[in-house]
Amino acid sequence: MVSKLMHVTPSKCTVCRNCELACAFSHMHGGKPTAARIRAFADDQQREGHHAVVVCMQCEEAGCVKACPAHALWRNPETGAIYHVEARCIRCQSCVAGCPFGNMRWEAAMEFPTKCDLCDGDPVCVKFCPTGALEHR
Amino acid sequence: MSEIILNGRKVKVRKGEFLLAVARREGIEIPTLCQHDAVEPAGACRLCLVEVTRPEWEGWSKLVTSCLFPAEDGLIVSTDSAPVHKTRKGILELLMARSPNAVPVRELARQYGIEQCPYPVQHDGDNCILCDICTRVCQNLVTGAISRIDRGVGKRVATPFAEPSTDCVGCLACAKSCPTAAIPYEDEGLRRTIWGKTFEVASCAGCGAPTVTAEQAAWIEQSKGVSREDQLVCDRCKAQKTAAAYQKLAW
Repeated sequence: MVSKLMHVTPSKCTVCRNCELACAFSHMHGGKPTAARIRAFADDQQREGHHAVVVCMQCEEAGCVKACPAHALWRNPETGAIYHVEARCIRCQSCVAGCPFGNMRWEAAMEFPTKCDLCDGDPVCVKFCPTGALEHR
Repeated sequence: MSEIILNGRKVKVRKGEFLLAVARREGIEIPTLCQHDAVEPAGACRLCLVEVTRPEWEGWSKLVTSCLFPAEDGLIVSTDSAPVHKTRKGILELLMARSPNAVPVRELARQYGIEQCPYPVQHDGDNCILCDICTRVCQNLVTGAISRIDRGVGKRVATPFAEPSTDCVGCLACAKSCPTAAIPYEDEGLRRTIWGKTFEVASCAGCGAPTVTAEQAAWIEQSKGVSREDQLVCDRCKAQKTAAAYQKLAW
């Protein structure tokens, strides 16, 4: 089944970090942008149109799922998003190590990994992106 | 589909489903300390006791651990009857005598109105209530470095002969899944000590932040097939690399 995916267009990103804030607020991280599950990276030389947003791609053969010994990561067939199930998690950080793209974060304060769950199929970050650099289609 | 009567209400159940799972689905709270979704139930803490009976038992009933008792057609279950409450309170009094400093034990004891423990309290007793979550997690999901050792009052969780174990990979899953925070460990910067073994946490190749221990990375690579190179870089540096790749792809 082909589900909707997150599309990032670096040429449109202005690193306004609205996506980070939207994520941090909607996922109860107290609006702390450093805890957001999406990250905007400014270009080293600050060149316009060279910035990029990194967010979980919900890989078909995901490194996080492969690395998790407790089967705490599973895919919701409706949204295509991989969910992290807290009750099954043994907090070994294998998923954080296993994701090759850096989209599994370790929330040190809560001692839990966090990841993008596509907000149950309607990502909040996309709504707050003013330039259309983030799309969910 | 079978049907049981749960606290006076008819409830549909799947074959082989355990009573605890049925009760939780129906929004009925049953206290547990040894239940963890990642591992099979063990019936170790005994707190999830419920009373079961059947019409043909002519008034007889029995107390069973709901985490291990399958829901069968026609079963009549009470999760908070007088015998359940009394027995649960007794178990909590024993747990209070053993581990008076364990926060979840104290909290449950308070809920069940235990003001004075009738048994001699081990005020300096450790927080371990032998719930076996750590040993089940380690044996079934990680490398099996810890188990219960000794018998009787000396029974405790440890590595074989309580010596530093060659199997332990220092993932801290045992300590972090412990409901009573009974497993001591140190995790400062790039040094990690647990079960008498000191590990060096690999530092991120990009920024030097701690990642996982070399032992854990080797174990993940060997058992899960995830390359070690990916593991020894922190999530932020990996995301930065991903961003650089996007930028390159775009131009």
